[in-house]
Amino acid sequence: MDRRSFLNLGAAAGAGLAAAAWFDPDRVYAQATAPWTLGLADVEDDVAPHKLRRLHGRLPAGLEGALYRNGPAKFRRPGRSVGHWFDGDGMVRAWTLAGGEATLAARFVDTPKRRIETSAKACVMPGFGTKAAPGSQLEGPDDSNAANTSVIRVGDALWALWEGGSPAALDPVSLETKGFAVLRQDLKSMPFSAHPRREASGRLWNFGWWRDQVVVWRLSPQGALEDARIVKLPRASYIHDFTATDRHLIFVLQPWVQERMAMPFNSGFAWRPEQGTQVVVIDKADLDKRRVFELPPFFFFHLGDAWAEADGTIRFDACIDPDPSFAVTGAAKLLSGEASGGPAPRLALVTLGADGKARLEQTSDAAEFPRNDPRYAGLAGNMTVHTVIEPGRPLSRGIATRDWRGGKAQAFDFGLDHLVEEFVFAPRPGGSAAFDGWLVGTTLNLKAKASELHVFDARRVADGPVCSLRAEAALPVSFHGNFVRG
Amino acid sequence: MRPIKTFAVVLSIAALAATAAAAQEASLTVAFAGVKAHKGKMMGVLFDSQAAYDGKGEAVRAFAVAADGATIEERLPGLKPGRYAIRVFHDLDGDGKMGLNPFGVPTEPFAFSNDAKGMMGPASWDAAAFEVKAGDNVQTIHID
Repeated sequence: MDRRSFLNLGAAAGAGLAAAAWFDPDRVYAQATAPWTLGLADVEDDVAPHKLRRLHGRLPAGLEGALYRNGPAKFRRPGRSVGHWFDGDGMVRAWTLAGGEATLAARFVDTPKRRIETSAKACVMPGFGTKAAPGSQLEGPDDSNAANTSVIRVGDALWALWEGGSPAALDPVSLETKGFAVLRQDLKSMPFSAHPRREASGRLWNFGWWRDQVVVWRLSPQGALEDARIVKLPRASYIHDFTATDRHLIFVLQPWVQERMAMPFNSGFAWRPEQGTQVVVIDKADLDKRRVFELPPFFFFHLGDAWAEADGTIRFDACIDPDPSFAVTGAAKLLSGEASGGPAPRLALVTLGADGKARLEQTSDAAEFPRNDPRYAGLAGNMTVHTVIEPGRPLSRGIATRDWRGGKAQAFDFGLDHLVEEFVFAPRPGGSAAFDGWLVGTTLNLKAKASELHVFDARRVADGPVCSLRAEAALPVSFHGNFVRG
Repeated sequence: MRPIKTFAVVLSIAALAATAAAAQEASLTVAFAGVKAHKGKMMGVLFDSQAAYDGKGEAVRAFAVAADGATIEERLPGLKPGRYAIRVFHDLDGDGKMGLNPFGVPTEPFAFSNDAKGMMGPASWDAAAFEVKAGDNVQTIHID
C-alpha cells in the first residue's frame, strides 16, 4: 500500500470531513517530496567552523573579509511549530575569506524567545505570523525578538537585526550572543529595523516602526548614537525597508495598514488598495521638512538605493507585489511544503519628479533582495544586483544586475537545483567605479544537500561564478547579510 | 480565695486574648534577587485585592528600598493575614517614575510577586497573588 492510498483509506474509514481536509494527501505528498523544502528545514545545532571544499575557480586576490548572513533556522518543536517563515530562530552565519581559503561557522542567536521555546519544547511565543500559546511571556518587544532578519557590523560588534525590537549584539569571532544593545537608556527596547542604510561615509541611518510613527536613528561610522527622533507619518503602513539618497530619507507607505494591534502581528493589517501608495521624502538635515508623493497601490518588502539627480528628480528601485498575500499566507504555507503559487515580485523603478508627480515603471523581471555598491549609496550611478525568482516555485534560482542608466542587464541562472540567496557587492581594492569588484553570495544546493558560497565578477555576472565552494552543512535559506572587509 | 481565683481567670483570658491578637498579626519581608544594577531604588506597591491591583482601589503599602546593598529587602510589619500581590520596578535613575521609551515600553526593569510574567501587559492578580499567614512571611522577587 502506498502513502496516498493509506491516507485516503484513513479518511474513508470515518476520520471525518475536517480530518480529510487537514490530511490532504496531495499536500502531504508534496511536503514529503518537494526538493525546495530543504530550504526551510530545521537546524538543530550550531555549525562548528570548518573549511569549505573548492568546487571550481580560485578566490580572487584582494577579496578578504567575511560575509555575515542571518536567517531563520529553527521552526518546529515537538509541542508546536511556528506559523510563519519569518518567525524561526535567527542563525548567524560567518563565511570567512582569508588567504585564498574560505570557512563557514554558524550559530543561533541566544534570544529570550529561543530560551523559552527550548525549555517549553514548543514554539509558544507570538510573532509576525504566529499566535501566542500557553507558556508564552511577553513583557516587552524583545521577548518575541527572533533576531533573524539581517546582521551588520557596528563598531566592534555584530548586530543581529529583527524589525520589531532591539539589535542583538554578538561577538564577531565566536558569534556568541552578548545581549540586546541599548543605544541610550531612555530608548531601550525601541525598534531598530533590519534595513539600516549606510552612507558612503559610513554613517548609518535606520528607522524603527510603530503604527504611524517611526524613530529615526543616526549612528556615526563607529556606531555611536548621534541622534534619535520620532517622526509621525501619514498612515500606519507596514514598513519593512526604507531607502535614502545622500540628502533624503524615503518612506514608502504601502496600503497594507495596521488597523489594530493583534496576534499574530500580521492579522492586524488590512489591504486598502483604494488608498494607493504614498511616498514620504524627508530631509536628512531637517526631519520636519517633508514632501509626499502619490503612487498606485502595490506591496513590497525591499527597496534598492535611491539617488537624486541635478534637476531634483529622485529615483529608486523596488521589488513589488500586487498585494500582501505572500506576507499573510504564502510565507506561512512554505513551512508545510506548500508553494503559494502567487505571482513573484517584479523589479520596478520609482521616479519622484521635481514637479511633485511620481511615476512607477514596472519591469517583467521576477526579482527580490536588491542590493547596491555601498561606495555609491545614495548617489547617482549606482548599480543593483537582485535575485531572480522562478515563477511557480518558491524562492530564487539566479541573480541579475541592473544599470538604470541603460547598461546591459546581466543574469546568471543556477538552475532549479539551487535555492539562491541575496548577493552583496564587495569592492576591488583600489577600484572606484560602481560594481568594480565582486558579488558574493550563497546558495543551497538541493542535489548535493549542502550550502555553497559563490563569487562573481560584478561586471561579468553572465559568465557565472569565478569561484564556488561548498560547506559541509545544508543551511536553510537566509534573508540578509553584509560583507565586512578583513 | 474567691477574688484571687477570679483575678487569675481574668488574667488568663487576657493572656489568651493577647496571644490571639498576636496570631492575627503578620509581617512580610520582600526580598529582591538577581539584581544586576546595584543602584537606584526598588519601588514596590502591595495590594490586598484584585480591584486594587488592577488600579481600581487603594494600595495597602508603597515602599522604596535602596538597591545598592548586597541584600535588598523591605520588611512590612502590621499586616492582616490574607492574599496579597506586589508590583515593583527598579528605579535605576532615581527619578521616582517608571521610565518609558517614546513608544510606551518600560525602560526600567519591573517584576511581580510570585515572579509572575505578563502577557502584553502586567501579570494578572491570579498569577501574582500569594498568601500571607500570621507571623513572618518572605516573598522573594527576581528582577533586572
